[in-house]
Amino acid sequence: MRNRENPLGSLADLGIPFHLELNGNREAVVEGCCGVLEYGGGVVRVRTKRQVIRFTGRGLVIRCLTADALVVAGYITGIEFLG
Amino acid sequence: MLVLKITRWLLGYARFSVLGGSPERFFSACARGGIYLWDIAGRPNSGACVAARSYRRMRRSARRAGCRLRVRARRGLPFLLHRTRAHAGLWAGAAAFAAVLYLLSLHVWCVQVAGNAAVPTERILAALSAEGLSPGTRKKDVDPEMLAQRVMLRFPQIRWMTVNTQGCVAQAVVQEKVGKPELADLSRIRNIKAAATGQILSMKVYAGTPLVRKGDAVVRGQLLVSAVVEDQRGGNTLKPASAEILAETSHTLTVSVGLQRSRWEPTGAVVVRRNLDLYGARLPLTLRVRPRGTWRVSREKTDLRLFGNILPAGTYTERWEEVRPVRYTLTKAQAREEAVREADRKAKALLRGGKVLSSAPSEKWGKDGLQYTVKLDCAENIAEESEIFIKP
Repeated sequence: MRNRENPLGSLADLGIPFHLELNGNREAVVEGCCGVLEYGGGVVRVRTKRQVIRFTGRGLVIRCLTADALVVAGYITGIEFLG
Repeated sequence: MLVLKITRWLLGYARFSVLGGSPERFFSACARGGIYLWDIAGRPNSGACVAARSYRRMRRSARRAGCRLRVRARRGLPFLLHRTRAHAGLWAGAAAFAAVLYLLSLHVWCVQVAGNAAVPTERILAALSAEGLSPGTRKKDVDPEMLAQRVMLRFPQIRWMTVNTQGCVAQAVVQEKVGKPELADLSRIRNIKAAATGQILSMKVYAGTPLVRKGDAVVRGQLLVSAVVEDQRGGNTLKPASAEILAETSHTLTVSVGLQRSRWEPTGAVVVRRNLDLYGARLPLTLRVRPRGTWRVSREKTDLRLFGNILPAGTYTERWEEVRPVRYTLTKAQAREEAVREADRKAKALLRGGKVLSSAPSEKWGKDGLQYTVKLDCAENIAEESEIFIKP
């Protein structure tokens, strides 16, 4: 996973809840996440500070997972932002 | 990515399954705890891979999430070493192989020669070996400049030489001198005299004054072309005479062939001795000693090659064949044939480019053998240079 250094501080310091980066519909990098809520059956639900992000698609896998970021890979067909 | 895979294999990792509880809570707890997971699989077959040294730290996260962990596979060098700990010989052998390979790579394995045409390769290799370069020599002991200078002193035909070391191969590159063409010495004054007695068939006079004509009979030593050239005003100058004078000459050759002969015949007894050549050392493969008596030996050296490169190993085979002298008598036909061959050889050496117009052979048989005489009528160049020495 790319290591992004923010010269101004962390995302929380900047007041940004999370940072989502998409590479087409094949890969999504989420920074600022707190954990995984659901994983399996073509659904990956990730919890951030204020929201929950739900990825739907085919063959979704969590490529890697760290304390504050994760990478979801596969064929992403939908992204929902749940309150 | 290959480097990452190699690193993971070297450090060792485990693939495990997560059973029961909440796998998602377990994965999140591991992430917060600084445990790095990869190849994470979701429900229904939750699992992941983790570095071997981090596996124990996951127990707390598993207890919190209410999960059980089950190892499915252990991969990597630490597990391989643990599995083969009873076979220490394998690792000792591998280490010995690596050590031997390293030690062998410090030496020259083979010596090659390139660029030579007139000087035989075997002589150059023998000279290099005498100066200290042969299979088995340590590479750091090879001084290319000194080696080249010493070998060039032995071979005046070599004008330039260098020794290059590439890997374990030492290659001697040689450049030979180009011979100077023979130049005609126009400063020496010379006449043309007859080298043999005969009748002149044709004349080509390039320089000088001809004293004979086509059809003249000349004797050996007679002056044919003079170096004195008279000009139109009656003055004389001396020039080196040059000519080609073809004449019909006569020669008689005699060859004697004895009928009683002796040759060596094999008795049938054969002894084969094989040796292994390894790094210049010769190790006997057979225990047979060198036979005594009258034996004929033939030797064969076979070098092992790998991708066209000669390895410092090969076989050397000696085949010893016992022989005994056997007397036999030539038949008349055989004796005649041998006499004719010898007479032809003598004629070729005598005529040096001339041709035989006719021949009249005769035979005389005695109790010792055949006396074969042939009278040859030849056409040859009888022009012979004869230098004139002028006192100043």
